[in-house]
Amino acid sequence: MVHASTPPLEMYDYGVIKKFSIMAIIYAVVGFLVGDLLAWQLTFPDLNFDSPYLSFGRLRPLHTSAVIFAFGGSVLFATSYYVVQRTCKARLFSSALTNFTFWGWNIIVLAVVITYPLGLSQGKEYAETIWPIDVLITLVWVAYFINFVGTLAKRKEKHIYVANWFYLAFIITVAVLHLVNNAAVPVNWTDSYSLYSGVQDAMIQWWYGHNAVGFFLTAAFLGLMYYFVPKQAERPVYSYRLSIVHFWAIIFLYIWAGPHHLHYTALPDWASTLGATFSIMLLLPSWGGMINGIMTLSGAWHKLRTDPVLRFFIISLSFYGMSTFEGPMMSIKAVNALSHYTDWTIGHVHSGALGWVAMVSFGALYHMVPRLYGTTIYSKGLINLHFWLSTIGVVLYITAMWISGVMQGLMWRAYDEFGNLTYSFAETVAAMHPYYLIRSVGGLVFLLGSLVMVYNVYKTIRQAPDRAARA
Amino acid sequence: MADEKKPVETTGHQWDDDEGYPLKEYNNPLPKWWLYTFYATIVWAVIYWVFFPAWPTLSGFTKGTLGWSQYKQLDEEIATAKAAQKPFDDQLAKMSLKEISQDPRLLQYAISGGKAVFGDNCAPCHGSGGIGAKGFPTLVDDDWLYGGSLAAIHETIDSGRTGAMPAHLEAHDGSFNTAQVENLTDYVLSLSNQPHDAAQAFKGKALFNGEAGCNGCHGDLGNGSLKGTMEGEALEASVGAPNLTDGIWLYGGSRKAINQSIAKGRNGKMPAWGSGFEGFGRKLDPLSIKEVSLYVHTLSGGSF
Repeated sequence: MVHASTPPLEMYDYGVIKKFSIMAIIYAVVGFLVGDLLAWQLTFPDLNFDSPYLSFGRLRPLHTSAVIFAFGGSVLFATSYYVVQRTCKARLFSSALTNFTFWGWNIIVLAVVITYPLGLSQGKEYAETIWPIDVLITLVWVAYFINFVGTLAKRKEKHIYVANWFYLAFIITVAVLHLVNNAAVPVNWTDSYSLYSGVQDAMIQWWYGHNAVGFFLTAAFLGLMYYFVPKQAERPVYSYRLSIVHFWAIIFLYIWAGPHHLHYTALPDWASTLGATFSIMLLLPSWGGMINGIMTLSGAWHKLRTDPVLRFFIISLSFYGMSTFEGPMMSIKAVNALSHYTDWTIGHVHSGALGWVAMVSFGALYHMVPRLYGTTIYSKGLINLHFWLSTIGVVLYITAMWISGVMQGLMWRAYDEFGNLTYSFAETVAAMHPYYLIRSVGGLVFLLGSLVMVYNVYKTIRQAPDRAARA
Repeated sequence: MADEKKPVETTGHQWDDDEGYPLKEYNNPLPKWWLYTFYATIVWAVIYWVFFPAWPTLSGFTKGTLGWSQYKQLDEEIATAKAAQKPFDDQLAKMSLKEISQDPRLLQYAISGGKAVFGDNCAPCHGSGGIGAKGFPTLVDDDWLYGGSLAAIHETIDSGRTGAMPAHLEAHDGSFNTAQVENLTDYVLSLSNQPHDAAQAFKGKALFNGEAGCNGCHGDLGNGSLKGTMEGEALEASVGAPNLTDGIWLYGGSRKAINQSIAKGRNGKMPAWGSGFEGFGRKLDPLSIKEVSLYVHTLSGGSF
């Protein structure tokens, strides 16, 4: 064994964490691959090869579900199980529940991969899964909740570490969001009718959609950040007080912000206003996490020169700060009137999804995988290569989408001296072509980075002296 | 929990100390700039709630002091835009197409509106700028099927056109065998000076002006219903039969494409944008049709 203090570690359940980590990396590659194929399809539409199974409408939800729920979800299962055990000094509550969450979650992903290309969808964005899969998601999520809370309950530490608050908030809120948004009456095994209709349905959908971003992709990954950043930087968290205040502020404010997805629609004006104002008030609470993460590094900046894992953390926090500034700005009606329905939204989402979620996950995986297998990383140089490929890929992606989106918005509203539209819709599409090409290349570079990670992690696991011993 | 006098002390708690650096937390105060900016966003939100519709009540919602609503904003913006265009539109409605085309300022206005209408309604088939596509005539040349005058273009757009080239091969419910269709193909190829079999073309010519009756629509010389004649009589222009001698083809000018057109026939359909089509009712208002007619007329240089 390479670590001196192995006995306490022996009691942890690392097997499921290893499995979730490996699946996370596989799903990352699949998700990025499908995403980049879609980017090329938008650049050159013939790339759908006239096949319904490869059409944009079916692959797009496959991409979003693969990256958010398959990749992101597996990262969260892996890290939350790792963090809750180590910060509670307790083994996971139930190995039966642990196994059920692993196999259940992966069966759900498999079901998604089969049903979406066949065109089976309930037509709700980020919740396209048909009702039998929704039921399975519910069962897995309840098992996850019991397993997580059970582990917290039998902890040997007096205090619950901050990372666990965020993970718990994520588990509880996602359960509520999932149950409410998917409430439906089944008519057969593949079809169902939503309990809501019209503008209520739209509002429920975006209350879900926005908080899926807020609690799945923000709160949960902040929990991850609160463990892995101080651990990797070997510095105490900057401010305990800030962590409490921004935690409760995020929890309270985020849940109101959904209506900003429905500005200038059938949604009543008052709901629209509340969504925008709560989004603005959310800016500083969101930044609390960035401040706490970046300030944790203060006094250890020199480590960035030698530690590429820390580089992943610091750049992910920077993208997090940028996205959480951009989001509230885009929720203001006057800005939204320009940005809505354009590629600007796609750029915003990907600065958060690639820049923040994926990069902070890569950092966590590079920290965690060698420790799970009782070894050190195979190559720091390859982590560094992955870091630069990811960064270049994201920057190409989001700058292309910013330019394309703002251009698109301006072209739609351009009038000539007589008050007639200057551009037809087709002309705006043609103008976006070069930026679509840049985006496709950016995505490809990001995808290549993930393949470097696959190789590095594979070699790390292969070199582990005791692959079985710590399972 | 907090020791205010020593802000950089840790809270004293420690986690995960078996392996690697143990987790600890400093008890730094909230950054002042962070706290005050947070307060500022709350103040901004409250001010916003005063001015705009914001909070639901039991019987409605708070309306806000500005009396703003998105529907009011839309109505006002549309009213402003319509008011700016009204002087032009009033004149356009009164004047004939020809009169408008002779008033440079009005024509400029009409073309600007026509271009916008064309881009979102006509371009999907006729291409951006009217460049055309297979089966959809190009509008930038002076080769017209139904006439390039302002009146003809207006009628085409307003009432639509149906171009019907019948199928001639027996297998497609026509009256002619494969050899006869081949002969007709060679004759049509000869009309535009393309390589052809002279002997077959000779037989084809007899069919063209005889049994097959092609000259009834395309004319004795095959130069189309606009220019052609049959036995000295002018043809019915509204038939829209293309000129076969000019090397401009709607469905392709290769041997194979011409053979297909003769054997299986072709059906062209220009929707009626004014009188409505396929049960959807009127698609474009009379003013828009006037504007788009003038725009299309200028694409080709136009004829009167």
